[in-house]
Amino acid sequence: MNSYLKKYFSVIRMTWIQALEYKANAIVGTFAIFSGLAIEFLIWKQVFQAQDLQEIRGFTFNGLMAYIFLCMIVGQLKSSWATSMEMIDSIRTGEMNKYLIRPISFFTYHFMMFIGHNSTFYIVYTTVLILFPIVLPGWAFPTILHVIGFIAALLISIYLSYSIYFCMVCFAFWFGEVRALVIAYNISNIVLSGQIIPLRLFPDSVRNIINLTPLQFLVDFPVSIATANLPINLWIPKMGMALFWCIIMTVTGRVIYRSGIRVYGGYGA
Amino acid sequence: MVDMVRRYFSLWRCFFNNSLTRDLEFKANFLGGLIVDIIFYGIQFFFFSIIYSYVNALGDFTREDVMIFLVITFLADTFYMFFFSGNLFHLNKWMVSGDLDYSLLRPVESQFMVSFRYVKSYALVSIVILLIMLITLIIDYSKPIGILNMVTFAISFLMGTVLWYSVDFIISSSCFWFKNFSVSGWLSHEILKFSTRPDSIYTGILRKVLFSIIPMVLIASIPTRILLYGPNYHYLIGQLFMALTFLSLTRIIWKRGLLRYESASS
Repeated sequence: MNSYLKKYFSVIRMTWIQALEYKANAIVGTFAIFSGLAIEFLIWKQVFQAQDLQEIRGFTFNGLMAYIFLCMIVGQLKSSWATSMEMIDSIRTGEMNKYLIRPISFFTYHFMMFIGHNSTFYIVYTTVLILFPIVLPGWAFPTILHVIGFIAALLISIYLSYSIYFCMVCFAFWFGEVRALVIAYNISNIVLSGQIIPLRLFPDSVRNIINLTPLQFLVDFPVSIATANLPINLWIPKMGMALFWCIIMTVTGRVIYRSGIRVYGGYGA
Repeated sequence: MVDMVRRYFSLWRCFFNNSLTRDLEFKANFLGGLIVDIIFYGIQFFFFSIIYSYVNALGDFTREDVMIFLVITFLADTFYMFFFSGNLFHLNKWMVSGDLDYSLLRPVESQFMVSFRYVKSYALVSIVILLIMLITLIIDYSKPIGILNMVTFAISFLMGTVLWYSVDFIISSSCFWFKNFSVSGWLSHEILKFSTRPDSIYTGILRKVLFSIIPMVLIASIPTRILLYGPNYHYLIGQLFMALTFLSLTRIIWKRGLLRYESASS
């Protein structure tokens, strides 16, 4: 167990060092969040002012902005599409051979790489999240329990998101090039997971469909905990559901991977 | 001058034929690109349908205005994809690996070469679909849209595309100064996001900035206004001025950048 952890921790450390060399990632990522928030702020300000609304489906204007801000941060932390592209490339070009002859798991190795690459984001956003309740008190994290709940839900969201991407990546064993699938999923999940509009504002028919999928646990769930939009008595059942989806996606990923590795030529597509 | 334009046009035609042959070799990619575009359009329409379920108009833009605005935004995006995205996105990689040498050694203007060499031919299908959508929306629009509106719209749209190219080119060229600026594509995308929302939402200093220093609202919002509400010569002259200024800036930055280029593995 110890050597297992040591092995993968060194992958995180290695990618962490690489990531710290390219600080531009974190700068552009922070710009992405604040520019995105500025656009959302202006749109929703017009909506609230034009209709003279005090709240929309339980969201005040400030509450909505806090929600969207946190959504953008969570959305970026959980998105592993760049790692997915590397994985697709390694299957397509035959580079994956190096993982097969070493005592490492293709899934875990890339998961650790994804965490390592995102480390600059973790540092920047943790600072932002710590400052958040100090600068804007009352908008999020009302108690320490909400902080703990948010961290737990965020960890689940990161793992679940990676597992979903992994399932799609594994189709590269059969089709070679599945970037379009990953990009299409990435584009749709930005809206459908509630990253730019809270799920609560969606039409009921669409929300009912989303509630049948793991998408609700990717962004909406952690942010609803942080902003106290989800009653505490629902946390445990929802976390249970989220963990259930994690198991489903992990098993599905394994099944697809095992079938895929049998058809893998190893010479590049 | 005419001979030079003819030469460069025939050169671009060769680039197009070559890119089309390459793209058709990977038919799944060709199809995948189209599917991604359709999903992107669908998601944008869905986003605005939610916004407009809570409001009747965003400034001057009613729901039907925004539908036309969105199609124009997609059209601008697809035009950009068709001509430039296959090139500028890779500029940083070419510079770091030294592959830029190949473009510099050819007996053509190097900026033309790095801007137009690869054409994303699958975007042609999207352009046709979007043009049909735009024409349908124009016919169904609650007020008649005259020919003059359409002609000035076409001019304004072209100037918007020039501006989009210029901004992206300037950001991509910054790799000459930063040595390895692999996130330039992401930065461009984030800046260009401002062009995908109607200009009526921007107010105060931000509005002034988006009309001047970072002229994002001139890309799709102003062409939409000209098409729907009639030609506004202030906007057109302003757009022409900005397009020429930014295009000149690309020339200056490219020439300065080349002086810093150290060839292979710089």
